[in-house]
Amino acid sequence: MTHATHRFTLLALAGWVLTPIVVLALRAVSLSWRYPQIMPMATASGGAFEALADPRLVAAAATSFWLALATGVLGTVLGFVTARLVTRASGRLQQLTWLGALFLVVAPPLASGVGLQVVMLSLGFGGTVLGVLLAHLVPATGYLTLFAAGILGSMQSGIEDEARTLGASRLQVWTRVLLPQLAPRFAESVVLGALISWGQLALTLLVGGGVVRTLPVELLSLVRSGNDQAGALAALVLSLPPLLGLGLLVRATRRTGAAL
Amino acid sequence: MTRRNVAPLAAVLLIASPVIVGVAYTILAALGLRGAGASELTVRHVAAALGGWDTWRGVGWTLATAAVATAVAAAAAFTVALRVQQSPLGRLLAVLPLAVPHVAAALAALLLLSQSGWVSRLTHAAGLTPTPADFPALVYDRFGVSLVLAFAWKEFAYLVLTAVAVLGTLDRASDEVARTLGASARQVFWRITWPQLWRGTSPAVIAAFAFLIGQYEMPALLAPSTPTALPLLIYERSVDPNLLRRGEAYVVALLALTLCAGLIAAHGIWRRRLPGVTR
Repeated sequence: MTHATHRFTLLALAGWVLTPIVVLALRAVSLSWRYPQIMPMATASGGAFEALADPRLVAAAATSFWLALATGVLGTVLGFVTARLVTRASGRLQQLTWLGALFLVVAPPLASGVGLQVVMLSLGFGGTVLGVLLAHLVPATGYLTLFAAGILGSMQSGIEDEARTLGASRLQVWTRVLLPQLAPRFAESVVLGALISWGQLALTLLVGGGVVRTLPVELLSLVRSGNDQAGALAALVLSLPPLLGLGLLVRATRRTGAAL
Repeated sequence: MTRRNVAPLAAVLLIASPVIVGVAYTILAALGLRGAGASELTVRHVAAALGGWDTWRGVGWTLATAAVATAVAAAAAFTVALRVQQSPLGRLLAVLPLAVPHVAAALAALLLLSQSGWVSRLTHAAGLTPTPADFPALVYDRFGVSLVLAFAWKEFAYLVLTAVAVLGTLDRASDEVARTLGASARQVFWRITWPQLWRGTSPAVIAAFAFLIGQYEMPALLAPSTPTALPLLIYERSVDPNLLRRGEAYVVALLALTLCAGLIAAHGIWRRRLPGVTR
């Protein structure tokens, strides 16, 4: 590939990827951006960010944060335990589990959620943060089981066997060998699980019944009410943690020499 | 069943239990045995949902938009991955859309592609569209143009990531042997690189397609009300003030789950055919 072709590819790629993000950012910092202005006439400084101090948005961001954290932690525990048990099972059960986990990941949230919604209601969790958390755990556990399976599958089981041969108890194998090896992966898994919950809208609406207000729910209602500027600001806030997560992932993969 | 399979099976059942219970409830509700307005075993909801033109039109429209978006995203992802696999800046740019949640990306598409959006302003400045009404309706339109582009924008990043990973694992020795034997660069690509790239990325392409069928956030902001996208159809019916219509939501949900299960099965069969995959 010639240098010129490479530069053209990078430019086209930058245009395709960055244009929506730049337009979103410009809308977020402009109090007014009327047709046919291509660029906003003036980007307000303080005024544009007033929406960020809106108690509704602050409360929604806090709810989203706690839900994401709890989903990440609980999903990691469930995902790693399941993957650990399944990697030692027979091939057919393993295959069934990976397909089941994949189903949890790609099953339409609303399709699996309509039944889940009534189950939550009958358990008394409908319209509660706990009910929404349990609902978020469904896709998150699917993702994190697949994630944990990839890690545990590529780990050398020889180290574990050697530790057992040298007299380490089962507990010592866990505390001295496996956990130190897996700690960074647990952290990545928590981040991944948290991100799945952070952007979740369909299950929150269905199980939360409009009572549990997360950032995506507030964003949807802002856009539907025609408040594009506050909506764009909320969209940027919603995009920041995943961007940070992606940055950490890029840093980690560069350190290990993997491609990203 | 062997003893070593008991604990793993229990774990699998635990993580799948919410979906198993949810699906069981959905089946009962679709048959009129549970849920709002439940009375006795009936196929009334099934007949109403499956006999309605709206449902099949929505299913067809959803499959078509998801298929076109997946094809666009995959074609763009393969092209870009082949060109930027050695460029850290290119790879970083390509995966950026992963960081933007679907609902935020849908708002960006709305700001870009609506009749008073940024693209419309550019065409106005170029003298092509004197008023917003002269710009073609790309949002809430029956062809789902903005929805397809927004879907493709999001899935592109996931498919580039997969394609770059697959390209990194390819054995380049066969390329060199083919070149030594006189194959042109084009022949090397189509006969050696492409089959391996497609084989490695096709499960991800199927997963992306299945994911788009059930995507709610983007259709909620960009899709037309007629035909109604499958996830919107489920949501609208599930909150319909007419309790009798709520039963139809469960039937449509089962239809979506069946479509999804079919794709997962296709994915499983595909994986079995891959060399080196545990059976």
